[in-house]
Amino acid sequence: MYTANIADTVIFRSLGKEPNPRLETLKQAVKEADTEIWVPPVVYHELSDASEADVPANPYLDTAIAEGWLRVGLPLPGDRGEGFDESTDPVAIARAIADDFLNARSKYPETNNWRDAAIVALAVRLFEENTRIRVITHTADENLAKACARIPPEFGYYEIESRYYNPPQTVKSEFPTVDSLSWMY
Amino acid sequence: MSYDTDHVQNVGESPGMLTGIPTFVELLDNPKLAALYTAIRHDNTTGPELIDATSVSKKTVYDYLHKLEQAGLISIVGEDAGTTVYTAEEFTLTVTVSETEVSITPALIEVIAQQTEYPVIGRVLADHGIVTFALAYDLVIAHNDGGVTLRQIAELTDLSSGTTYDLVEALYSILDLDATESEPTTYTPADFTDSDSLLADAGEE
Repeated sequence: MYTANIADTVIFRSLGKEPNPRLETLKQAVKEADTEIWVPPVVYHELSDASEADVPANPYLDTAIAEGWLRVGLPLPGDRGEGFDESTDPVAIARAIADDFLNARSKYPETNNWRDAAIVALAVRLFEENTRIRVITHTADENLAKACARIPPEFGYYEIESRYYNPPQTVKSEFPTVDSLSWMY
Repeated sequence: MSYDTDHVQNVGESPGMLTGIPTFVELLDNPKLAALYTAIRHDNTTGPELIDATSVSKKTVYDYLHKLEQAGLISIVGEDAGTTVYTAEEFTLTVTVSETEVSITPALIEVIAQQTEYPVIGRVLADHGIVTFALAYDLVIAHNDGGVTLRQIAELTDLSSGTTYDLVEALYSILDLDATESEPTTYTPADFTDSDSLLADAGEE
């Protein structure tokens, strides 16, 4: 059974830019847990260094990508304003449902929840593309963490655990461990 | 005597002389002054105790005490072994410009006092101003309650993703939000037993 770990932007902000000891610890934990870290394109974009526009560079992720233990998902389908009646793609539907889920629980609905919803959509995509897979998501936003565990079962995918880090700085010690990257239940 | 006019509202007591408004503003720019006020606010204290507890010189401590007292931000409540004991007064300094109102309170001053340890606080204040800083402060507390996401904090304050994270981390540490938690909370599908289908609900809309 393959285990994929999907991590939100806050995880890498907290661990810091490459190279640093926390990322080395994470690399070892990924290896020992026999897993991979995944991020949706929006996370890669948020962590990229905008000052080097000619040569897109990501000081948080590029080394891990080159070393083969972190992967960036393909661009996700769907459009925020489009809704999903016209779409039959479960990934696009999952993202739209996640957006609705977050908006319904937010003090500021419609403000940027579409990007958060990419974490849920990537989880559903990995389930769609792999038959023997478990997914663990990692974020420091409570409602997004709930969405990650609540929405994939709508599509028949129950092999998901969602880790919520609060305070966010606990990521530094709690994320780069074999336990956090491994199936718990 | 109480007043209720366009500019002055009070209940029962005279508003007294407010002549030290620049000191209120200086609290935003002078972390050492802010730290001194915050220390007194946490616990009634004396000049010698403040000299021991802070990194500023004896002369500066007494200059600041005088300044804070003149502004009405602290007052004398007695003596302890021959030294004056001070207590801090609560305040709200409300500034309204155009349609934006910002309230500067001792809680904000307490955070601002720690900008030496957390440079991102000074950066945000210098580059984005007190309105953005106060907004971010409130949104971080809302984030801890679960009603706001980190991306929303960035968008609502117009701070970069990196600055937002640095500020969030600083404020969580200073405010000691959820300090008892260390391990992440793990949610699973079993945590959501409601039978409503989000898929079906959304499809009906």
